[in-house]
Amino acid sequence: MADADVLVPTAAESSAIGGGGEISRKQHLMNTFESYRSEIDTDNERREKLIILSRSITQLSKKLIFHLHRNATSLIPTQKEKCLREGRMKEREIWTNFKKIRDELKSIGSTEEAREGYWRWNRQVSPGLEEYIEGLSFLYYLENQSLVPLQEVQKTLSDEDGEPLVIVTPEDYILGMSDLTGELMRFATNALSTGDHNTPLEVCDFVRTVKAHFDGIPPHMLYKLSKKQEETTRSLEKIEKVCYALRLRLIEFADKPEVLAMMAKRALEDVAEKEKEGPPRED
Amino acid sequence: MSVQAGSSSRAQTVSETLSSVIGLLEHDQNLKKAIKESIEPIDDLSRGAITELNKLHSAPFSQHAEICQNAINIIGKTQSLWTDVAKLIPESEFYRYQFALGPTMRALTTSIVLARFILHDDLTPSHTISTVLGLQSESTSVLQLSAEDYLQGVIGAVNELPRLSVNAVTAQNFELPVKIASFVNDIFASYSLLNLRNDALRRKFDSLKYDLKRCEDVVYDLTLRGLTKPRE
Repeated sequence: MADADVLVPTAAESSAIGGGGEISRKQHLMNTFESYRSEIDTDNERREKLIILSRSITQLSKKLIFHLHRNATSLIPTQKEKCLREGRMKEREIWTNFKKIRDELKSIGSTEEAREGYWRWNRQVSPGLEEYIEGLSFLYYLENQSLVPLQEVQKTLSDEDGEPLVIVTPEDYILGMSDLTGELMRFATNALSTGDHNTPLEVCDFVRTVKAHFDGIPPHMLYKLSKKQEETTRSLEKIEKVCYALRLRLIEFADKPEVLAMMAKRALEDVAEKEKEGPPRED
Repeated sequence: MSVQAGSSSRAQTVSETLSSVIGLLEHDQNLKKAIKESIEPIDDLSRGAITELNKLHSAPFSQHAEICQNAINIIGKTQSLWTDVAKLIPESEFYRYQFALGPTMRALTTSIVLARFILHDDLTPSHTISTVLGLQSESTSVLQLSAEDYLQGVIGAVNELPRLSVNAVTAQNFELPVKIASFVNDIFASYSLLNLRNDALRRKFDSLKYDLKRCEDVVYDLTLRGLTKPRE
């Protein structure tokens, strides 16, 4: 390096070309790069903050899902209602984290810049968003036995004035719904153990509809989905097995509910054996 | 059974919801495709400029300025094409599609920086590149050359210089290697100021060290044989 320094074109030469005058090219470049340094530092800090928020959203969403699994299968209406109420509270807690993300993006500058920032930092935010959509759609399913529409997700993720906190794209939504099918499979098998015979049949129907629609999406359009579809197919097969056993027993023991409950339990154990993770524990 | 009666109307709602979302997804993906296609003619010109700049390695030094000017003229033709790209991108959604635009912007930055180094012996600042590409007009305001793309593009130009230095010696041009070594040295010192994460830019920066060494080795060989001008 020292060699090259000695051989740098003379000051007269470089200033004649650079047109700058007193300061050398090196000095000029160093000044420019110092401003790049502060820009990169600011970006890195922002990225870290957003990643932390996104992770905490993921964690809280998982907790919401587990909470719902633990209590939503209860056949006692008051207990189920309480569970869903608590679920909504947990959902609002996650919402405040999205608000923090919005505030972080707002700190960049104008509304315009904040919106631009959202797309710039989308990759940091989207893992949490996807998990949240999964949790929210599960909660919504338990409340309404139906699929949460995209507009509803966007509305839930808006502030008091209806201004979106983050932008939910069809892609985010579809990937979230794909994950929902896995949760519903667990929910259906859990429901069986409490002697709830309608839920597995309903869920089966629902998951079938979702899978059929998503099968129509060409892989090049949403590569990530084609991987998830394999998981959905496995989930659906499990649910269908449960329904198969359930239907046979419903016919066989229609007049003996206590036998039914026992049989259902056995069918569940059969499924649980084949499932790696197993249904969530009942704590 | 009541389950079936209830679920059939529900299934219909679910179907409608999913169909409409898939429609939106298709719309998004078609836009992505259109943007990617709108970039293709720019990539063609960019490749044309690279082909032109490749002549630097074999052409006599006297033609260097002309070659570089040609390359810049070719790149200048992308200006109207960028307007076409800009029309497709919704306001403030530039970064949503940056994955499609970034590589092209980096390649063009590389060519401009290289050509203008030969012409002016200086590093072209980011805003000048935007001007050459016509990104600073009203109609292209949605587009921008991000710091990340610029900084990567510059290193791309530096990666080209060790070869040029070696080939200059073969062509008995002993001034260019000195000019190159000094330039690469300044660039390396400047990039050393940045606090980089373990990302693509960091890996590119790591490549600078080797470029610098190769450029300095050429100067060393020349100095050893007394082929460089002594310092005035």
